[in-house]
Amino acid sequence: MPPVSDIDPRAKYNACSSLTQSPQKTRITRAVTNENDENSTAATTRMTRAKAATLNVDELAMPTKALQSKKIVAAAAAAPARKRAALGDLSNVPKADAVADGKKPVTKAGLVSKAAHPSGIQKRTTTTARQPLATKPANNKAADTNRKGAGSISGTKRRVAATATVVKDEVVEEGEPVRKRIHAVVSETKVSAVDIEKKAKPETMEEALARKDAVPVQAFVEPAEHVYPKGVKNLDSEDIDDPLMVAEYATEIFEYLRDLECSSIPNPQYMSHQDDLEWKTRGILIDWLIEVHTRFHLLPETLFLAVNIIDRFLSEKVVQLDRLQLVGITAMFIASKYEEVLSPHIANFRHVADDGFSESEILSAERFILSTLNYDLSYPNPMNFLRRISKADNYDIQSRTIAKYLMEISLLDHRFMAYRPSHIAAGAMYLSRLILDRGEWNETIEYYAGFTEEEIEPVFQLMIDYLARPVVHEAFFKKYASKKFLKASILTRQWAKKNAQLYGVLNTELSLDQIS
Amino acid sequence: MDGKRHPSSFQQLEKLGEGTYATVFKGRNRQTGELVALKEIHLDSEEGTPSTAIREISLMKELKHENIVALHDVIHTENKLMLVFEYMDGDLKRYMDTQGDRGALKPMVIKSFMYQLLKGIDFCHKNRVLHRDLKPQNLLINSKGSLKLGDFGLARAFGIPVNTFSNEVVTLWYRAPDVLLGSRTYNTSIDIWSAGCIMAEMFTGRPLFPGTTNEDQIVRIFRIMGTPTERTWPGLTSFPEYKTTWQMYATQNLSSILSQIDHAGIDLISRMLQLRPELRISAHDALQHHWFNDLMPQQPQQQQHHQQQQPMMQPHRGYQQTVPSQQNYESY
Repeated sequence: MPPVSDIDPRAKYNACSSLTQSPQKTRITRAVTNENDENSTAATTRMTRAKAATLNVDELAMPTKALQSKKIVAAAAAAPARKRAALGDLSNVPKADAVADGKKPVTKAGLVSKAAHPSGIQKRTTTTARQPLATKPANNKAADTNRKGAGSISGTKRRVAATATVVKDEVVEEGEPVRKRIHAVVSETKVSAVDIEKKAKPETMEEALARKDAVPVQAFVEPAEHVYPKGVKNLDSEDIDDPLMVAEYATEIFEYLRDLECSSIPNPQYMSHQDDLEWKTRGILIDWLIEVHTRFHLLPETLFLAVNIIDRFLSEKVVQLDRLQLVGITAMFIASKYEEVLSPHIANFRHVADDGFSESEILSAERFILSTLNYDLSYPNPMNFLRRISKADNYDIQSRTIAKYLMEISLLDHRFMAYRPSHIAAGAMYLSRLILDRGEWNETIEYYAGFTEEEIEPVFQLMIDYLARPVVHEAFFKKYASKKFLKASILTRQWAKKNAQLYGVLNTELSLDQIS
Repeated sequence: MDGKRHPSSFQQLEKLGEGTYATVFKGRNRQTGELVALKEIHLDSEEGTPSTAIREISLMKELKHENIVALHDVIHTENKLMLVFEYMDGDLKRYMDTQGDRGALKPMVIKSFMYQLLKGIDFCHKNRVLHRDLKPQNLLINSKGSLKLGDFGLARAFGIPVNTFSNEVVTLWYRAPDVLLGSRTYNTSIDIWSAGCIMAEMFTGRPLFPGTTNEDQIVRIFRIMGTPTERTWPGLTSFPEYKTTWQMYATQNLSSILSQIDHAGIDLISRMLQLRPELRISAHDALQHHWFNDLMPQQPQQQQHHQQQQPMMQPHRGYQQTVPSQQNYESY
């Protein structure tokens, strides 16, 4: 299977289908899921890794098939040992050094920024002839307990034996919500490919249903016979003469999208099974993809779909650091084919990644990603929902522009991954209107957003948290610092630094990378 | 739909049709013996998986409905992609050619087919999907008298408001006037125009507007529907393809051109063939039209029951016995 090895030579990581079958595990998962709902906010990776550790421990205790045992042993050896990867090195090197490192600066117009890091990474790997890949097994076994930075905890966490119940993380700042949710999806990555088809998917659905039940607003959002709650204006009726609004189907379409979005949420804890990657790495990749996206003049939908493809893929497969950029660029290639009227040619994608990958590598990655995702690209991106809310906001251009920026934060900051796109859109619009002082979240806007103020709170708090911290995603910041986007990134950051405390967001001195 | 199945799980039988980017074979599931249609898509060695295939698979996996042909499986190998569809006996074009009276079908068959067509369209639209290529060749029919929408190669999901799309959609004869005029902001109503054209064709056995070029197509439509003006169609003059040189035709009476259609049927088709997209009836409303009143006893029931009872399916019985084994399958 060349495509498999292409992206992930170790794709057959510790396969352990018994994990999902464990009745205990199932029970725990459910319990946690039920007690949880959309309102619990995503938390730190540390928690994630702690969870993973508990899972790993259990998993190792499980009887496994002979064929799998070898891999599991390997995984066990690898678990406490996290490789100090090229990216990690690079990220600690001052930018000037990276350039002086014998590499020519990235010269492509529009791509000169810190976010060109992925190019840097990729360059490094090319110059070292894919060394990380070659040396991987050795690195895996070399214990590296001295990892610095936030990720260092993971080494120990992995060894935490555990009650799979909620573990409270002392390090979590006040105001930052405690992670409660544990996704059965974590197990997806441990089961064999075939088992993923059979078991993991239904479980995801189950979760989705549980989530749906847990969210009271659903009952509110589903007025089967177009019964509008008190105080809510039927805004679709004014669109009857506007063919673009598809007024006669709008209510049904949004009901459908709200069902659909539950099934397209990635596993928010997938980093716990990525030995080579960190959330920080993902942030750098997405920051770079935002530049690529701008440079190719692609639709906003394409960017959101690309990131969803990346995250759902990483939820199911282990990827090497030197292949991450390939996953990113291929996801953008696929998303363009799905969304754009005219998709850029493959050569553009190859070129923008500094020819680090050949076209045939991109094509086989495309096949592998598509089959891993079962060709399921039906992701209701937050733009859909933002437009819906904006309608109840009289299409105020300012609040929508700021909200677009805030929504894109959810692409870069992994802590938003557990939230549904409609929730992100509601949070973005809420915060945008708050910053612009656009008045209260009235019944009509609440109805079209599908979320109450209370439900939105954790999302907009997390957005404030992101904004108040030091900037780490420079390309993203720069893009939205332009006049075209009403200097959204500057404006919101100033506001957040001033008002964070007021909204219970504290301890924002450290950057996102430092706390992940 | 695991994509891990091997092509050898299916016995390949005769070729059913050949499209621009795919070949369709009849096939048999070796395990279950079930007949299937195998659509083989050749992967472009340069640009990889075609966007048409990506959209078709992704959308058809979502669209599970009795009037939409079911996608059972996707099998990919090194250089081709094989889509496994439920087997249908033929398409509407071939059915009209072989079973119709010089192409024309019996009114009750047409009514049943139109109802099923609109149900399929309604389901797509509710699920924010535009088919964008409805024509008799893309409507599949089986011996039970079921009609299902096939070939979602040009389909795509839309948002609200609808984004701008390509205007290179829909086979010319079934293309809506707003698209012909260069609109890129069309919506669900483009599928309704096609459905109206198909309805007329089932009654007469001939395409309603068999244009040869974009310009000819527009003129053929205006000759019957009347040439619009800025007054009858506000915004008309801003379309890219608007011409001041159009000959001014008066609106014809549809019942004189389509004399085969009864009064209620004329009322329905004239609501579907509105030049202005915003005036075209939706699939949902069309299904409530009184022309379908005499079909209503079947409506609340499942397709299966509907097929077993077959009170209005009499014309199909002959069809059932005489369905040709070879059919045109480009429609998958």
